This record gives sequence, C-alpha cells and structure tokens, in this order.
Amino acid sequence: MVSAGASSLASPDLSTRVGPLRLQNPILTASGTFGYGLEFAERADLHRLGGLVTKGLSLEPLAGNPPIRIAETRGGMLNSIGLQNIGVDRFLIDVLPGLRDLPPKVIVNLFGYAQDDYVRLAERVDPYEGIAAVELNVSCPNVSKGGIEFGHDPEILSRLVRRVRSATGKPIVVKLSPNVTSPQALARAAKEGGADILSAVNTFVGMAIDTATMRPILSTIRGGLSGPAIKPLALRIVFDVAREVDLPVIGIGGIETVDDVLEFLLAGASAVQVGTALFRDPRTAERLVDGLRERLRAEGIPSVDSLIGAAARPE
Amino acid sequence: MAAVDSRGEVLDVQALPLPYFLLRARVAAMVPAEPGQFVMVAGANRPEPYLRRAFSVYAQEATSDGSLVISLLGKVIGRGTEALAACVPGERIPVLGPLGTGFHSVADSASESGRAALVAGGIGSAGLGLLAEALERAGRSFDFFYGGRSAEDLVEAETFRRLSERAGGRLVKTTEDGSAGERGLITAPLEAGLRAGAGYTTVFTCGPHGLMAAVARIAAAAGIAGEAATETPMGCGYGACLGCAVALKNGGYALCCRQGPVFRLEEVAW
Repeated sequence: MVSAGASSLASPDLSTRVGPLRLQNPILTASGTFGYGLEFAERADLHRLGGLVTKGLSLEPLAGNPPIRIAETRGGMLNSIGLQNIGVDRFLIDVLPGLRDLPPKVIVNLFGYAQDDYVRLAERVDPYEGIAAVELNVSCPNVSKGGIEFGHDPEILSRLVRRVRSATGKPIVVKLSPNVTSPQALARAAKEGGADILSAVNTFVGMAIDTATMRPILSTIRGGLSGPAIKPLALRIVFDVAREVDLPVIGIGGIETVDDVLEFLLAGASAVQVGTALFRDPRTAERLVDGLRERLRAEGIPSVDSLIGAAARPE
Repeated sequence: MAAVDSRGEVLDVQALPLPYFLLRARVAAMVPAEPGQFVMVAGANRPEPYLRRAFSVYAQEATSDGSLVISLLGKVIGRGTEALAACVPGERIPVLGPLGTGFHSVADSASESGRAALVAGGIGSAGLGLLAEALERAGRSFDFFYGGRSAEDLVEAETFRRLSERAGGRLVKTTEDGSAGERGLITAPLEAGLRAGAGYTTVFTCGPHGLMAAVARIAAAAGIAGEAATETPMGCGYGACLGCAVALKNGGYALCCRQGPVFRLEEVAW
C-alpha cells in the first residue's frame, strides 16, 4: 500500500478527474447492469455514486435475444442479452429528466449497427445538458449484424471515433474489447480518432454447455463473461493500456471489493465501473464508496488521485 | 410494496427427504409476499455460487415482533440449491424480496363462483403454496393436481390435500412410475375432470415448461382462463440484468422477474 505518510485524515478526497469529467468519487455503475438508473432508486442510493452509465442505447428500441440469455459460471456469469433497450428517444424524454439533477455524472452508452448510427446517436444526445459524456459500445460480443465489430479493427475504430467526434462536443469514452490480440492498438486508435477517455474492458467471449441436454446453454451459443473470474484479465489490460496511451482509463471487470477498486486505481484507472456484482447485491456500488473512504482514512491516504497508476511507477 | 434487501435468520432446514428441503427463515423488514411472488436468496457469506437464487415464497407467517417467517420449498439440483440446503439454524442469509408480479387474478378469482384447478409438477408446487392458502381463506373451491416422476416428488401432498379438502375440493396425484396415484401425466386427470364437468373456471399452474405449455393448450381448448408461474435462469431478480426473458406470443419479451413470474397462459409463447 502506498502511504502519504500522514496520520489519520478527517475526510479523504474521493473526487477524481477523468479527462474532462470531474466525479465526486471514482465508483460508477457499468452499462447494462443498472438499467437506466432510475428503476433502482429504491434499491440503491443513486446520490452517492460517482457516475452511472446507462444501458446501451440504440436509435430504435431493441427486443434483445431469445432466452436463454444468462448462464452462471464459476466466479461469474455469461450473458447474451442482445442490447435490449428502450431506444434513445424514450430515454431522453422519459428517463433523463429524472437523472439529470442527481450528483452522479450520467454517461450514455451508445450502440449502432453502422457508423452512421453512432453519428446520429451522438447528434441526438448532444443538446442534452444532463448528459456528461457518451460511451461508445464498440465491443459488444452479443450482436453480430453483418459481423461488424468496430472495436476489433484499429482503422475502423479510429474513423468511427473521428466521425462521432465531429457530431458531439461531449467527452467521448471508448469502451474497449478484451477479445483482441492487442487492446493497446485499439486504445491508440481510439485516441487518434479523438477519444477523451477509455473504458476497459467489455466482457470476454465465452460459452457454457448443459451436460444434461448436451447443448449450449445460451440461445446465441456464445456470450460475454463477467464477474470476479475476469478481474485479473481486465486488470492486466487496464495496466497495459494506461501505460501505453496518454488517456484516462475507467477500469471495469469483476470489481466487487475495496481491494478490487484499489487494484484498478493502482494499475492506472482514474475511476472504475461496477457491474455484475450489482446483481449479487444491488448496494455494491455505494458500499464501495463508503469502503474506499474508510480505507483511505485508515491508511492515511489523502486522495484517490495519489493512487492512480502507482503500481506502474518505478519503486 | 417495496422489496427489501435484508438478512434472514435461518430457523431450520428440513430434509423432506433430500433432494427436497424446506428452509424457514425470519426476515425482519420484509412485507408479506403475494401469491406467486419470489425472493432472491443465497447461502451465508459464500463466494460461490456467485448469483443468488430465485425461490417462490412457499408459505409465510407474520410474527408478533413484526418480522416475517418465510418458508422456501426447494430441490437440490445444483450449487445454489445445495448451498441453501446446507444452511444451519442461526445463519444469516441475504434475502431480497418480495419480488415480481404474482397471480393477478387471485382477487378476482376469490369472488368468482367457479372452481379453480391448481396444477403442479414436482417442485413447481412451491409456486402454488401461497395461492392455495389464499383461495382456501377466500372460500373458493379448488382441486389440486400434483404430478411427479414418482411418489417422492410429491413432497407436500399432505399440505395440499388438507388445503384443497378444506376448500371443498380434493387432491389428485399422478406419477410416471405409478408409485403414487394414477400412473401417467397430471394433465390426464385435469382433462378428464374438465370433460366430466368439474366446473373449473380458472386454472393455475407451476412446473416444468412442458407441463405449463400443455396446461395452456388444455385451458385454451376448454375456453377457461389461467395463469402460470414461470421460471427462467435469473441474474439479479430485480430488473437490472435483463437476463430472464420470457418469449411472448405478441413477439416481444417480458422479464420473468418484473412482469412475471406469473403470466396469463395465453400471453406466453409456449
């Protein structure tokens, strides 16, 4: 543990700057794990989050994939939801008004089947003040319309980000796929295209088979693996990307405990997103905010800032 | 009524015998479940399995100190149910609930004059416990059809015999091996009853998918209304993961945990 050498501090500074975003603390909820935010107001204290990332939004509402959509595995789960969502317009009209005055920053996750879709989505959300940033989902493993995966080819990704850049003045977060040989190459491409922030990582493609029926469990055969099982894999990618590319990184992958949060910060993340752990306990994110504050106080660490990337610095 | 995420104190776990078990837990802040509603539970402080499991509230009792004692009827089929069956008295387990939409037509059906048929397949009887009690309390007559592979699958036969007889109906059993009741599937006596003019105006079912699909066909053919308590793999139980899709006849999907688990028979694309 790094130590600032100070004795116990009254109140450590949890705020963190993630590129152009200033967050009250580094704990966000990950896309697809907390709906559009408001649905769970009775189950979690939204006010205390650093930010929330919406369920992936598309131009038109999507019904999602047929059942079975999830399969539990050791230390996590596979999902193949298929980006079921209400569509960007209903989000802007029905949901955003209830979110925009809350302290957590609202980041909208955007998803399209073609570059034009992303551009139109970015144009659509651009005028709304309650939206702090857009996160581009270029790496969902569960939709394969035409086999286009924007997050797997550096040139395509760079072009996509450049086009979205010209469509919105809002900060752009690019969510990186772990299912590539070199996430660093994609991270560089996102930066070249004009991204402000990287989030890493999306789910890992996996599968599970029902030994009784001898068939794949998921209707789509493959799904995205999330949960504690992927944490070391995600941490490694965050570490590599943060060292290689001069952009702030939001760490994602199996985060459930204060130690998980600290590891991602030390690896170079400026903030983290909590996902699958919310399914196990809807209050995980706020528990982590409290736990992190307590931990910094106990260790005499004055701020989150002082931790970011500390594991990559020479001893 | 808002669901509460709290801890339940395990009072006892009864082997019925295994693989069936009945877990009773005292939950301080929980409001009573409506028939068909469920809770998300897990063993205490266990890292695995990672996700909680959905259990129908099989029975419940408000205590004088304001807490609720819930009974969960389960069958050990994997890691989640194993962990619950292994709970010991005094253990504090996470309980989130009550969740979901229960049997919508209970209020209507209680005042209805017609009789009801409750059709359970094996452990699906867990989903019909509160409903049978509610109908009995409301004075609505029902027959309880209880099917299983063999006699040991009909673990709660005596409970449902008592409730149905008090309600002026009866328990009908079938098993595939003939070890209890008639040999065969439980849909056979249901159809026979309908043909013989048993006067059912509503049918409620919970059990394997094939059984509920068959009950839906039978109800449609007989022109009677009905509801099914469905089951799908669930991630969170509260609408966040969107994992528990149930395919609807109109082409869309509903979430088992929110719009369900109880659906009208004609809504579901069986």
